Amino acid sequence: MLSAIQRFVPNAVIIALGIGAAAMGAGYGVLGDDGRVGPGFLPTVAGALMAFFAAVNVLTSGRKQTPTLDSVVEEQVPGFHDGEASLDPAGDGGLDIHGRTQRQRDRMLWTVIGIVLATVALVPLLGFMLAFAAMLLVIAVVVERRKIMPSVMVSVVTLAATYAIFVLFLRVPLPQGILGI
Amino acid sequence: MLDNLMLGFSTALTFENLLWCFVGVLVGTVIGLMPGLGSTTGIAILIPLTLGMEPVTALIMLAGIYYGAQYGGTITSVLISTPGEAASVVTTLDGYQMARQGRAGSALAIAAIGSFIAAIISLALLMALAPPFAQFALNFGPVENLSIMILGLITVVSFAGGSMSKGLMMVTAGLLISTVGIASGFSQARFTFGNVNLLGGIPFVEVMIGLFAVGEVLHQIRVGAAAPIRARFKDMVISRKELTNSMPSIFRGSFIGFLLGCLPGAGSTLASFLSYGVERRFSRNKHNFGKGAIEGVASPESANNAAANANFVPTLALGIPGGGTTAVLLGAFTIYGLQPGPLLFEQQPTLVWGLLVSFFIGNVMLLVLNLPLAPVFAQMLRIPYAYLYPIIILTSLVGAYSVSNNMFSVWLVVIFGLVGFFMKELDLPIAPLVLGVVLGPLLEKSLVQTSALGQGNFMIMFQSQISVSILSLALLLAVGPWLIGRFKSTPSDAKELTHV
Repeated sequence: MLSAIQRFVPNAVIIALGIGAAAMGAGYGVLGDDGRVGPGFLPTVAGALMAFFAAVNVLTSGRKQTPTLDSVVEEQVPGFHDGEASLDPAGDGGLDIHGRTQRQRDRMLWTVIGIVLATVALVPLLGFMLAFAAMLLVIAVVVERRKIMPSVMVSVVTLAATYAIFVLFLRVPLPQGILGI
Repeated sequence: MLDNLMLGFSTALTFENLLWCFVGVLVGTVIGLMPGLGSTTGIAILIPLTLGMEPVTALIMLAGIYYGAQYGGTITSVLISTPGEAASVVTTLDGYQMARQGRAGSALAIAAIGSFIAAIISLALLMALAPPFAQFALNFGPVENLSIMILGLITVVSFAGGSMSKGLMMVTAGLLISTVGIASGFSQARFTFGNVNLLGGIPFVEVMIGLFAVGEVLHQIRVGAAAPIRARFKDMVISRKELTNSMPSIFRGSFIGFLLGCLPGAGSTLASFLSYGVERRFSRNKHNFGKGAIEGVASPESANNAAANANFVPTLALGIPGGGTTAVLLGAFTIYGLQPGPLLFEQQPTLVWGLLVSFFIGNVMLLVLNLPLAPVFAQMLRIPYAYLYPIIILTSLVGAYSVSNNMFSVWLVVIFGLVGFFMKELDLPIAPLVLGVVLGPLLEKSLVQTSALGQGNFMIMFQSQISVSILSLALLLAVGPWLIGRFKSTPSDAKELTHV
């Protein structure tokens, strides 16, 4: 369940974006010759409506709790979660099958996001294939703590398949780095 | 009608289309098997690979992924009680119990047979419904098209489940994204901030891959790893008695699935739950439900397959997607230069009938594949997610790059991946945003045409009976749930299942 602040901040950002977009849209010209719609019509209307619905969402979100998938299943089929079936493998805040806590999984998430951003940033330097080879290995070995040899094998097979499909079959000129790879 | 059918078979039965249909259903089955990978994600990732194909071939393959994933989701539901697709959730109830009793083979067989029969029934119903749609479409002009767009956008109410404001907020966000760049008919660059890469707009493929593939991966990392898989079953033979007992359930499920699938936004998941509920209420074997009743597998599996096929009725005939996956497919149509909607049946009969007939052929392939090979597919579940998700990220980013040969596309995917992740965390529905991005350019074109026709007066929309009828339906869809909510204190829960 999201807290009031967690609900409010994203909606406030969306309201600000909507108002900004509507203001910019108005600058492009809302109506043209003979009352026809101009290039700014849709951005202005869409921006204003987005801000409006975000405001409505702020005002109404506290009143009614949106049902989750699990709660719906429980209502449709009583006793479903008493059995061995579950839709949420780890549960909210629980341990997953590797014994990781929610905090550890959050740390993994931000690490993976950082690695992906670094990989894309390094493509001009290392080239596409080398940068993504490093990404596959680092995620498997460092983030997921998998053994090195299987991780290397998975990475090599994946990159070979990617090269075969995209470079050889589809003839996509993947960016090369300073090493020419 | 027979001419259309023959046209469809002659298109779908070419070697190339058969091959890609097979690839589609095979890949779809594997995608449906993998927890965290759904048909929407799979199609979003694979759209770049289809750009060099003929549109009909590409759509046959992408549609194959869609209904192939329904089969794959069934295998995981039965064997490990973990549905790969939301539409297979209800199959776990009796399917998994059957597997524990050593009847996994029967469960998978009846699911495959039920899905196959549902595909035949839904194809027949599609053929019956399509010609009246095509005839009706001849009366459509810019005003009616604009009304259809408005109806399409209002269907977000269905997509968004419990929260109408969230759905409308996201569809307007999608419309805003679609206005970036220079629109056709205007010379004004909008929201480009001096970046030349944005002059052509934000491409649909990058938005899809980011929101569905990368966003889903990040979400799965946060949710945690699923249980390890140990699938084994020996008996693949279904008894004649089980088959006979299941036939009424298959027919009921097929009709319920088709009817719900035709409604924009209703989707396969709701169909599977409702058909299970109906079966549990009316079956002679109702006391066995939840304990391994074969009817509890036959009915929802038939329903979700029929609904998946029927989803194409609003998608093809009106240009309104029936669910999240068909919203992505709708975008794929526009990438291939096609405009789904009333005139599609008239202008592209080869494509439409080839695609519809391919559903039948694809389901034959799935039946042949799934009856003997389900245990083989099940072995794929042993691939740890720790290896799988970096591969999904790589495939997503290289796929995006291949569309434009520009690193800007890769950055867009990363950005929209983060947007998709936060949307999931904040419980904001993604499908309405997709719908806004897809329909935005078409809506703007219709707005310009209609305003020109009415010389700036939009009241022209109320001078056409068709337009008034469509707008009335849109109003009903917008206000209906609110009115129902006023008279009913509990929310319509099952709709949340269509939340993408």
